[in-house]
Amino acid sequence: MEKVTQALVPGSDIVVPPPGPPERYRATVLDEEISFLGLKALLGAADETKAGDRNAGLAAKSARHREAARTILSSLTLRHLYDHPLTDDDGNVDSVMRVNYAIDHAVFAEIESMTVGGLKNHLLRSPGVESARVGKALTGVMAAALAKICDVHELIFLARRISRPTKARTNLGLPGTLSSRLQPNHPTDDLRGISLLLYWGLSVGAGDALLGINPAIDTVENVSGLLRHLDKLRQKTGVPTQICVLSHIKTQLACLERGAPVEILFQSLAGTEKTLTSEFDVTVELLDHGYRTMREKGPLGPDARQFMYFETGQGSEFTYGKHHGIDMTTTEALCYGLARRYDPFMVNNVTGFIGPETHLDNFEMIVSNLQDHFMGKLLGLPMGMAPCFTLHSHITLEGQQMATQMLTAAGANYYMDVALNTDRMLAYFDTSGHDDQTLRELYGKRVTPEYEAWAIERGIFRKEEDGSLARGPSWGNPRLFLSSDAELQGLVATTPALHGFENAGPRPADEVSRRVRLHQAVGREATQSELRVGELREVVDFRVIATEAPSKEAHLHSPHLGARVAAADRAALVPEHRKVQILVSDGLSAEAVHHNAGDLLPVLLDGLNARGIPMGKPILAPNGRVKLAEDVAELVQCELVICLIGERPGGDALASRSLSAYLVYCLREDETRRRAVAFSGNPEVRFEVTVISNIYAGGLPPLEAGGVIAEKVFEVLERRAAGNRLEALLLA
Amino acid sequence: MVASATMVRNCVTGRMELSRLTEDVRSVPVFTPLREGRIDEAAVAALLDGWLAGGGLEGKAIFGGGALITGLAAQRENAAALASLLRTRLGDAILVATGDANLESWMAFLGSAARLSRRHPEVEILNLDMGGGTTNLALGIDGDVRRTGCLFVGARHVQVEPGTYRITSVSRYARALLDHLGMARGPGDELSPGDVDVVLSFYVELLEAAVTGHAEAFTTDAARLHLHTDIALEPPAPHVPRIVTLSGGVGALVYDKLRGAPWPSTTLFGDLGIDLAQRILSSDVLARDLSAWVPDHFGRATVFGMMRHSMDISGATVFLSSPDVLPLRDLPILGRLGSDADAGRVETLLRLVRESQAGGCLRIEGAGPSLAALRRLGALLGDVLRAHPLRPEQTLVLFVAENVGKTVGHYVSDWGKSPVKLVVIDEVAVKDARFAQIGRMKDHVVPVWYYGQD
Repeated sequence: MEKVTQALVPGSDIVVPPPGPPERYRATVLDEEISFLGLKALLGAADETKAGDRNAGLAAKSARHREAARTILSSLTLRHLYDHPLTDDDGNVDSVMRVNYAIDHAVFAEIESMTVGGLKNHLLRSPGVESARVGKALTGVMAAALAKICDVHELIFLARRISRPTKARTNLGLPGTLSSRLQPNHPTDDLRGISLLLYWGLSVGAGDALLGINPAIDTVENVSGLLRHLDKLRQKTGVPTQICVLSHIKTQLACLERGAPVEILFQSLAGTEKTLTSEFDVTVELLDHGYRTMREKGPLGPDARQFMYFETGQGSEFTYGKHHGIDMTTTEALCYGLARRYDPFMVNNVTGFIGPETHLDNFEMIVSNLQDHFMGKLLGLPMGMAPCFTLHSHITLEGQQMATQMLTAAGANYYMDVALNTDRMLAYFDTSGHDDQTLRELYGKRVTPEYEAWAIERGIFRKEEDGSLARGPSWGNPRLFLSSDAELQGLVATTPALHGFENAGPRPADEVSRRVRLHQAVGREATQSELRVGELREVVDFRVIATEAPSKEAHLHSPHLGARVAAADRAALVPEHRKVQILVSDGLSAEAVHHNAGDLLPVLLDGLNARGIPMGKPILAPNGRVKLAEDVAELVQCELVICLIGERPGGDALASRSLSAYLVYCLREDETRRRAVAFSGNPEVRFEVTVISNIYAGGLPPLEAGGVIAEKVFEVLERRAAGNRLEALLLA
Repeated sequence: MVASATMVRNCVTGRMELSRLTEDVRSVPVFTPLREGRIDEAAVAALLDGWLAGGGLEGKAIFGGGALITGLAAQRENAAALASLLRTRLGDAILVATGDANLESWMAFLGSAARLSRRHPEVEILNLDMGGGTTNLALGIDGDVRRTGCLFVGARHVQVEPGTYRITSVSRYARALLDHLGMARGPGDELSPGDVDVVLSFYVELLEAAVTGHAEAFTTDAARLHLHTDIALEPPAPHVPRIVTLSGGVGALVYDKLRGAPWPSTTLFGDLGIDLAQRILSSDVLARDLSAWVPDHFGRATVFGMMRHSMDISGATVFLSSPDVLPLRDLPILGRLGSDADAGRVETLLRLVRESQAGGCLRIEGAGPSLAALRRLGALLGDVLRAHPLRPEQTLVLFVAENVGKTVGHYVSDWGKSPVKLVVIDEVAVKDARFAQIGRMKDHVVPVWYYGQD
């Protein structure tokens, strides 16, 4: 094994050619000249069409234009791509782009005259080790360009031959293995529920890559507690793997400082510096600091060759409006160029997580996953894949499963184990331990050698006479790790969306699958449901306004449309200068409004009227987003908007009826605004927001929510504050 | 014992719960210090200070817990002073109750046998909590206590010099028993093996009669004298086995022996506890299930269980008319109010609240109250409170099982405009009890204790 822990090249030592004005790239198709201004436009047009690129105006106008762009891209030399770094909106090379230029210049000198198409042919004709060698000489942009001219077979064929094994406490990505990260997320970080999901995952042979929790609460205390709990369970079960809590890197470093077992340091990455710093609160310098700290103080010590873990996925730069005109595939590749700097133990790709504004359907999600896996492997990363979806997109479990079939063929290092595909905290759907085992059996893959020996001892697996690995007698039985049925029942009582432990072969038993799919179907229908205006007007005399989203589809796929009142209705919302304006919208579940408004609104109105609080006539806005409250507040010039809006449905059918109340307080007065600026440190702050969520029959019931919201409104108006500043004032 | 816990919301039930409950410190058991027939308050205070320091609790707010003064200690002349001393040292979060034998039985069951009972809802579990002065009986099914009782049967009615059977003192119950048995023994006399056997046979027969539901055993004067509270069980039904478990000091001796420990040396503790444990093991009725049906911590967990099970935690949307209205102590639970109650019923119950010095608690009942019902009941209560206000020192506490505390409170208080001191605690299942104690709010919930069973 090569020695991979390395010194970091200072950013100042990385040479990036000066950016120039955008070139015009031209191609003629029959009698039509098709041109693209600048490399960003060319790269965007050369990709398969995807929602995020369409929404950003980067996708090709037609298949003909796309193929024209690909033809041009294929003809460009690597040197050309090298000499034309992509810039931010101000024309500067940002820190992420700069890090991408930390390449093997000796190898690059060998290949710089190759065209992108020529490079593809070269790699297809060469053994896999050549791909691995050449990858070190490529920037993210080059890898993206290559991915865009590859078809599905090529993306799989090229990636499959690149091996990227790593080692922390145990090995990952050895040839012939298919591992998994066990993700026992729980909505409230309840250790009992986490324990159950972890035991269940271990019982289906999951977790050989990592035991990793996304915390619900990102505080040093909570994350330290979760780390210690994971460590305790790891030691109790004896499972040979590593642990991680996927909080912000600053939180984890503080935990490490306090002695918590931060075995693997995690951070989400973005492909532009502006997204990385403004949205993820991370800089290259901070990542460098994290890497160096772990190298010195990481609890796994020098035996761990790698210890960093990054998560990426196409579309975050677009979602935050900080993509600088760079398409999703290319920004994703730039993430990999940044991740490569830290020689990570694992990289996880969660393309599909964001929603339909970036990936609308199965095809878009599958293509992006194949591209990402190929680009990551090519650039030297140990790629794990998490093809996933939310219920308001058109991506389905079937599409996710097709993606994993292809990605397994392509040699993905690992997948997630989210029990029964349903993440109980993040309200999305990922691969499961059952999926991972199914794929291992289909493709003759194994878990890591260390884990295999452990699991055989416990009857989770058994070795067949021919040396293959089969499910053992204890496979799929979490009771294996518990002392009694009563203990199991105690854990079950704290864990939502458990639809049964029964199995059929490597799959959940049919009755379990039916329950899972039924819950998903109810949730998906809720996202598509339309507000029944007439029915709601019988509850309250609403005035109905339209948003800029002309349809449910447009609303779901383009979040910004639902954030503004439609032009035709703006004139009707004149300044009224009332204290409070109630705004009801469907958000991502009209069913949430239908099931709660009848009880909630009368109680809320009773409270506001009893206190004599001046109110505007309640507004009902189909196809709205939370941000619509700000637009409405500015139009009617109220002090506070009470925005009641449907939440994004997850894996529990009843919870698809869950409503949230956003109390959006407008900072109009100078003194109030001054205090808000001082509290938040944000000189641009215009609104403060208090959120009361989980309003439905299984959470905060609507009758009680009316009283709770009313009381909070009284506090907001009395203290002239909302959000954290209000809570601080109340505590004081 | 000092324990720490984390408050978490169970996202399945939506309720706040104590999680990560960890026993931090457990003191060495000591006998209640006595001095000239009274509880030695100074010695108790010194013990408490030592335990608090050992548990790192000095100067810290305690969320919940319990201290019980029971058995013979509760009958001492200055038992009330001891209660006061406990409150001074431990604060309002601590429940202090004296001489409530039913509560003690109930807590012993919850602390020791409740989990076993929940795991086996198909059987009745009768827990005998055997201490120095009393045996507290509690019959439960599926974790819920259905019947309680108490006998003056215990290890310390006859106290002897350790290592011998020379009597040092006898309780008034033991005096009556010895007289009933025709045994002219007293302090300074030596009990023969036959004497001990006769005394213990009396005890065991009483216990067996209570367990099997043979009421005729309590018809003699001596037996009636030993009956503190009659559990009045019927004989067990043929299809529902009645399983006996033990807790308390004598119970611990029995389970130690069953786990292979030798018996302690003769009268090591200066009483007949070891002998009583031996006799229990030789009783078919009492010992039949002891090996197979073992309670938590082999019957030693009474105090721990008391803390875990006697305290209820409210829902997370408690209504408080002002933040400083809590804590509240020893408020009587005065009645039940259906959500469809009429004005007469509301007036009657609020009159009882007004007649109680510090106010009182009412239980609002009615499955899943509707918006109309809440508005109506809120208006009724509000109207009566306006017409007949409570005094400033009085508080009205409403308990409601559903998650509607804030809304009920707002309707009753006319959205905060009424001056009534009002607390509405939701998502609690009020047990049959006469009094409630409510601790301070933490993380939006409050601890509630009920005691003084009906």
